[in-house]
Amino acid sequence: MTTMSETDLESCAREPIHSPGAIQPHGALLVLDLKDLTVVQASENAATLLGTPIHPGTKVGGEAVQLMADMRSWLDTEEDFYQQVVTINGQGLYAVAHRSDAAFILELELLPAGEKRSVERLFPRLKGFTEKLSAAPDIKALSASMAQHVRDLTGFDRVLVYRFDGEWNGHVIGEDGNGVLPSYLDLRFPAADIPAQARQLYKLNRLRIIPDVDYVPVGVEPAEHPITAKPLDMSFALLRSVSPIHLEYMRNMGTAASMSVSIIVDGELWGLVSCHSREPHHVSLTVRDVCDLGVQAFATEIAARGRSAEAAIRVQLASISARLLSRMTAAADWKIGLIAEEHDLLAQVNADGAAVISEDFAQSVGSVLALGDVRAIVDWLEGHGETDLFVSENLAAAIPGAERFAEAASGVLAVRISELYPSWLLWFRQEVVRTVEWGGDPHKVVREEGRIHPRRSFEAWKEQVRQHATPWSRAEIAAAHDLRAAIIGIVLRRAEELARLTVELQRSNKELEAFSYSISHDLRAPFRHVVGYSELLRERERTLDDTSRHYLTCIIDSAIAAGRLVDDLLNFSHVGRAVIGARNVDMKKLVTEVQQSLLLQTQNRAFVWNIENLPPAWGDQTLLRQVWFNLLENAVKYTRPRAEAIITVSSKVGDGETLYSVRDNGVGFNMRYVDKIFGVFQRLQRAEDFEGTGIGLALARRIIERHGGRIWAESEVDKGSNFSFALPMQETGGTDG
Amino acid sequence: MANLRPILLVEDSPKDLELTLAALAKCQLANDIHIARDGEEAIDYLYATGKHEGRTEGDPAVVLLDLKLPKIDGLEVLERVKRDPNLRHIPIVMLTSSRKEQDLVRSYELGVNAFVVKPVEFTKFFKAIEDLGVFWAILNEPPPRAR
Repeated sequence: MTTMSETDLESCAREPIHSPGAIQPHGALLVLDLKDLTVVQASENAATLLGTPIHPGTKVGGEAVQLMADMRSWLDTEEDFYQQVVTINGQGLYAVAHRSDAAFILELELLPAGEKRSVERLFPRLKGFTEKLSAAPDIKALSASMAQHVRDLTGFDRVLVYRFDGEWNGHVIGEDGNGVLPSYLDLRFPAADIPAQARQLYKLNRLRIIPDVDYVPVGVEPAEHPITAKPLDMSFALLRSVSPIHLEYMRNMGTAASMSVSIIVDGELWGLVSCHSREPHHVSLTVRDVCDLGVQAFATEIAARGRSAEAAIRVQLASISARLLSRMTAAADWKIGLIAEEHDLLAQVNADGAAVISEDFAQSVGSVLALGDVRAIVDWLEGHGETDLFVSENLAAAIPGAERFAEAASGVLAVRISELYPSWLLWFRQEVVRTVEWGGDPHKVVREEGRIHPRRSFEAWKEQVRQHATPWSRAEIAAAHDLRAAIIGIVLRRAEELARLTVELQRSNKELEAFSYSISHDLRAPFRHVVGYSELLRERERTLDDTSRHYLTCIIDSAIAAGRLVDDLLNFSHVGRAVIGARNVDMKKLVTEVQQSLLLQTQNRAFVWNIENLPPAWGDQTLLRQVWFNLLENAVKYTRPRAEAIITVSSKVGDGETLYSVRDNGVGFNMRYVDKIFGVFQRLQRAEDFEGTGIGLALARRIIERHGGRIWAESEVDKGSNFSFALPMQETGGTDG
Repeated sequence: MANLRPILLVEDSPKDLELTLAALAKCQLANDIHIARDGEEAIDYLYATGKHEGRTEGDPAVVLLDLKLPKIDGLEVLERVKRDPNLRHIPIVMLTSSRKEQDLVRSYELGVNAFVVKPVEFTKFFKAIEDLGVFWAILNEPPPRAR
């Protein structure tokens, strides 16, 4: 982290490097009026270089007359730039011009002594270089080749290919040199070395040269542009004088000449080709132009390779994505379908871990990050209004407290997978501790007299970078985005399906209602009739023999049993749909009442009833009475063979629930069948031994489950049974019963 | 006990009708028993219209009304009787096979005087009819006649 204060940064960013009001002395500059070519501004050395007096407001005369005529015809074209080699005052000069506000800037740059003007000999080299580009196996090889080519053309002592990372730190990935200057290969340079406004300028104007760091700047007169009333904008000028801070930086680096060419990939500043010499060194405009062409070819190659690599990754990720989607749609709960495919889920974005978090679901796979920590991340995302996608390769810097789990999750790629609810799918990348070699300590900023000076040391300085993960690539982020869209699609489709099912369910419920109504009315009636007519017959025919009377009794008993079966079934289906009217129920009272109602069945038998004090329950009184009735009736029924039936009703207060039990000393049952006992029509006893419809316990279970409780049984053959149920206690206080 | 008012039995099922009549006969009530086979006929009887136009006996002592009836169902007959200031004093007992809760709730809302689910066991049914017949036909004193 740099120690520069906000003020320092501001003052640095404010320096108007595009309008220094001066040029370098290896040429002269004229600002001419577009209409009449009269002088608006001129560098102080223009008159000397052209061998003719220069006065603002007048035309340029002398040997420049022919050039001015040329200017006139260029201005009549649409071309942005003018470039020509001319000889004026016995000197070879590059004449270069471009429009600027209501004027145009004409620069005259001296041809470097001894350099051959011929461009023809440069072309084979450029051709050779561009042909080699496609053969280079990787970016490192490409960069080495680029550096070599530029050094070959320009003769600088050292040429660096310098790539920016996401934070604008530079990384030297290619180098060629003659050993005069130290090697910087693999070193990193902090973002502060090239301030933002310089990077902006580098995007506009791809090439700049400083032939001699110790040049004496030549002023442009008058200082203010008479038309714009501002200092002259030299963004596109070749001769623009550079910031004293930059010159100091060069001197500190031990270089007297420099040139740099912007590498622009897909419209963004990707890197620089940076050239240095220990001694002053000039390179002709022709050579510089050829360098620029080569660098552009290099940038095109980089862009093409990036796109094809990305396309390959996208194809690969798309097939993973398709597999994930098919599993998700096949699963009952898409979240489970997704998390179950651990390998594909992680491979989708090359993550080490992943988690799905929603209000009622939390699960993670891969590298272990506590779900509580995942929740903390989600809470932060929600708190910061993230609604779509969040990406970080340095989570500890983004979220306070995230350094605790930096090892498991320094990289986070998170997508919100619901429009309505705080549901997130998150991927994690582990911390990758890297050693970064800086070209000098990036944290050391030199301040003198309230002004920043560039650092003086370029000694390699090693730093361990922690809490950082491998950055997420564009293709991976796009894959996450696509998966998010697909998930939202699935969720929406599920919601629609659910709505359709609900409608269908409502309809079939209505049908069921009608069905049970018709059963209750129409099926019950015939049984009633059978019983009624049989009774009438029995009363009328008093002379029937015993066998006939037995037959009549059997007819009556069977019809009554069938009628009860209908009643019980209706009850059973009714409980499934009944609304639970919960209130405080006096269980002791209920049990006593039920015991009374069983008097008819218990008469002429010996009973010992142990009804303990029972705490009240929270539930539906009518339904709970039914449960007690079914359990106690069973206890009465299955103790019939006993000389003395002992029935104990007890209770126990448990953790958030109350347990009630009915124990008898009856015939019991084999625990092997315990799972069957609560099922509909499951009987463990022969009908002739113990009557019943086989619905009672199923009904009891249904009622208890509707109350959010549970019911179970323990038994031993011939030793008796113990039926227990547990009901949740009412969470909030208050009684209305 | 002079001028015993009749009992109106509204029942569509011939078997239920026969069994109910048998049960009522066992009570040895002196009341006449009039029969309507659907809701429309019951309404005609109560208003002395249609088929029953010009009948001379007074309002029934009790109406035993089956719930599920052709043409006009039992709940609607109940509703019309209890809405009419001239008829609402007539006790109405709903007889039905249905254990459906909403029928019960609805009947009470409409002001039914009693609601009996016909039990399968004939002896219970017999007892229920006997109790109802005795209570409503003999013991229950009607309010003073409005007309």
